[in-house]
Amino acid sequence: MRLMHTSLPEFKHKIKGAVIKQSPNKSIKIKGLENLKSAKMQSLRTGRIEESVEAIAANKETVKVEVVVMPRVPETMHTVIVKGYDEKGNPTKAIMEVINIIHPTEEVELEGFAEIEDRRPTIGRH
Amino acid sequence: MSTLSFVYLPKGVGAKHGAPINVALVKKKAIERCGLSEEEALEMIVKMIDGPVAINVFDMEAVTTTSDGVVIPGAIITMAAGDMGKIHKEFGVLHMEEIEVTAELIKEEPHLAPLQKLYPGRKLFRGPDPVKKVIPVHNVVMTGKAVNNNSATEVMNVVTMEEMLLPILGQLQAIQGGDIVFAITGGVISVGIGMTVAEKYGRVFPTRQFKAGETAHDSAGYAKTLKANIPCIVAPKEILAGYILDVLECGLIPGKELGCSPAVLSVAYAMGAKIDFENISQRAWLELESVGIYRNLLEQPAIAMTREEIIAQADTIIPGLLDPYRVKSTECFQEISVEV
Repeated sequence: MRLMHTSLPEFKHKIKGAVIKQSPNKSIKIKGLENLKSAKMQSLRTGRIEESVEAIAANKETVKVEVVVMPRVPETMHTVIVKGYDEKGNPTKAIMEVINIIHPTEEVELEGFAEIEDRRPTIGRH
Repeated sequence: MSTLSFVYLPKGVGAKHGAPINVALVKKKAIERCGLSEEEALEMIVKMIDGPVAINVFDMEAVTTTSDGVVIPGAIITMAAGDMGKIHKEFGVLHMEEIEVTAELIKEEPHLAPLQKLYPGRKLFRGPDPVKKVIPVHNVVMTGKAVNNNSATEVMNVVTMEEMLLPILGQLQAIQGGDIVFAITGGVISVGIGMTVAEKYGRVFPTRQFKAGETAHDSAGYAKTLKANIPCIVAPKEILAGYILDVLECGLIPGKELGCSPAVLSVAYAMGAKIDFENISQRAWLELESVGIYRNLLEQPAIAMTREEIIAQADTIIPGLLDPYRVKSTECFQEISVEV
């Protein structure tokens, strides 16, 4: 499982299923993957996240579960593709650029939580 | 029992929206006097401050450079960012690299030549060693909303997206209890911060990317808009003039050995010092002319002013800053002491 990958729809299905397994009345929201239309997710972590979601959803007081996916390294480098099309929808010209984006770190999502269990390995040990 | 002291600017103080996050400045010696490690001191400070904070540690015995290459006493040796009482264990702290001052270094970076006369034997720090930092592009630390960037000379709140420039001389005034100026940067500062010199482990650039006489912005008439509407905390202009005069009196030539910022060129002209007009690139002249610094005017002979005259008239000689407001730093930066 360490070197395998799970499809994005299956990942979402498993996360949602982990909550429903505890109770169909509890809600689940996944944030941070809105821009991804297709991707392969690390299977080992998919399983672990599924376990974490189950553990959070198992709490009797919990009625809503949020799963937030955010960059681990808070400055990310992205390729930007500027594309032009003619009236018929045929490509005219494309320009490739790059942009670095600074994101907040996880503390902004953890405000107010007294109990936080950090199950992440250190960077480089995935 | 001993006491750790530092100065602290609360979020919201300053021009426009004010500081986007809290700012704490602490001397290395104050940490050492308490018998604390730097890490312990940073942890203590971040726990005391409720909310996002940038923390800079100063070695007042060391030296650094301004972005245009002027050597000055006092250097930031560590930068940190904290939020909600924590410093991010991976991205929250970065140490500046000590740079050994050798004849070879001065040959590569001639703006450092005054070090031998003005600050002999003192340690030199600017930015970090790029190999030792985790964040790939900028010299930045971050925790939660707090971002401390460009080797601790710019702070941002990544949620409100507000930022503030904290040039090194303004911070040095604040940590020493001197006067500071709150202002909006304006076009001259926006152009000036791009007139850098070639430096290894520089505050913004890790390699000797842009030489004296060039512009790192390379944005022609657009350069004056890039950082023109940002609150800043700077030193009064007579302080800046004094340090520029120090290095000009050592014989440095703006445009050749020293950056060609509006401040450096204006002081050099007032002093009657040589400027290497030919070595200043056409792209740099475009940016300078966009904020009223014209080559033909600087080439006109002028009556050389004395050092005392330049310092007394620094506010009219050095251009730049919108809506400046001079205050004693002690009226805005609070002195905080905590028992250790």
